[in-house]
Amino acid sequence: MVSEDAGTEKAATVLDKPFEKPDLVLTDTQGKKYDLRKETEGKPTLIYFGYTHCPDVCPSTMSNIAVAKKQLPKAEQDDLRVVFVTTDPDRDNPAELGKWLKGIDPQFIGLTGDFATIQAGARTLGISIDAPRKDKNGKVISEHGTQVIAFSPKTDGGYVLYGEGATVDDYTKDLPAIVKGANP
Amino acid sequence: MRRRLGPAALVLAGALALAGCGGSDSGSDSGSGSADGKAELSVGSAYMPQPVSDEMAAGFFTVTNKGGAADELTSVTSDVAGQVTVHETVGGAMREVKDLKVPAHGELVLKSGGDHLMFEQLKRKPKEGQTVTVELRFARSGPVKVEMPVKSATYHPKTGH
Repeated sequence: MVSEDAGTEKAATVLDKPFEKPDLVLTDTQGKKYDLRKETEGKPTLIYFGYTHCPDVCPSTMSNIAVAKKQLPKAEQDDLRVVFVTTDPDRDNPAELGKWLKGIDPQFIGLTGDFATIQAGARTLGISIDAPRKDKNGKVISEHGTQVIAFSPKTDGGYVLYGEGATVDDYTKDLPAIVKGANP
Repeated sequence: MRRRLGPAALVLAGALALAGCGGSDSGSDSGSGSADGKAELSVGSAYMPQPVSDEMAAGFFTVTNKGGAADELTSVTSDVAGQVTVHETVGGAMREVKDLKVPAHGELVLKSGGDHLMFEQLKRKPKEGQTVTVELRFARSGPVKVEMPVKSATYHPKTGH
């Protein structure tokens, strides 16, 4: 992904062939079962794979979406589903995930569960993540996805991709279209 | 034959000088090229996005080297964190690195999605509008103290907000 310094380029990539929403049944921040397809059916949905012990890209990606979301009309804010799926489920239990997301936007949905399930779900969206591993010093190295995928409320298809270069301005500009399932 | 040796020898000398410059990280300063300069570092564009977590944060800056020799950023300390490490981002993974090179007549750029500082064991949670102090240490040059402003969680240097 060479999306750096693409300041003038559009942040959004509209896909010719949308992704099917992954069939993920995981655990939310309340510790309850969350069926992604069922819960987000007919709702504009943004999905990102990351982890909370991540200083840079994960919090900035989620914060960008949070700030952009606040500029939507209230009804559309309530309609939008922003789903953060952890790639580090051992450390990101429901409580940890909930605490972290509350600091960004209390409406955001955090999902955790079995790593293999999460990895397989990510793979159906073209997102490849390796299991957390330890480096020489025993520190855990986790991986995050490098894309946010937007799903249309009309088709439930994942039709727009955002790379990590997407700024708060990009999301602010695009979300009003995304919540209607239109092309940004 | 003699006439053709001239330019060839010149090219060779040029290559040696270059090797002396770029190779100063090898620890050997016996090369003739090393005499031609040393690193002249300055640090700018520093900022920390207000962290979400109360355990960790990231930091970014640019080190500019006007000098004719390379240097390396080798360690970082800060008043707000028990530990600061330097990381590179490869795809979706962040890896700790021992040092980052500051090329001669060049820049070392730390930015979101790329090389960055990772602050751990935060002593307090930095808030937008505050400043954190960071000391950068280099293999050759003296330490540089940087006052790093805390910006919003969504701050982007390109847009300025």
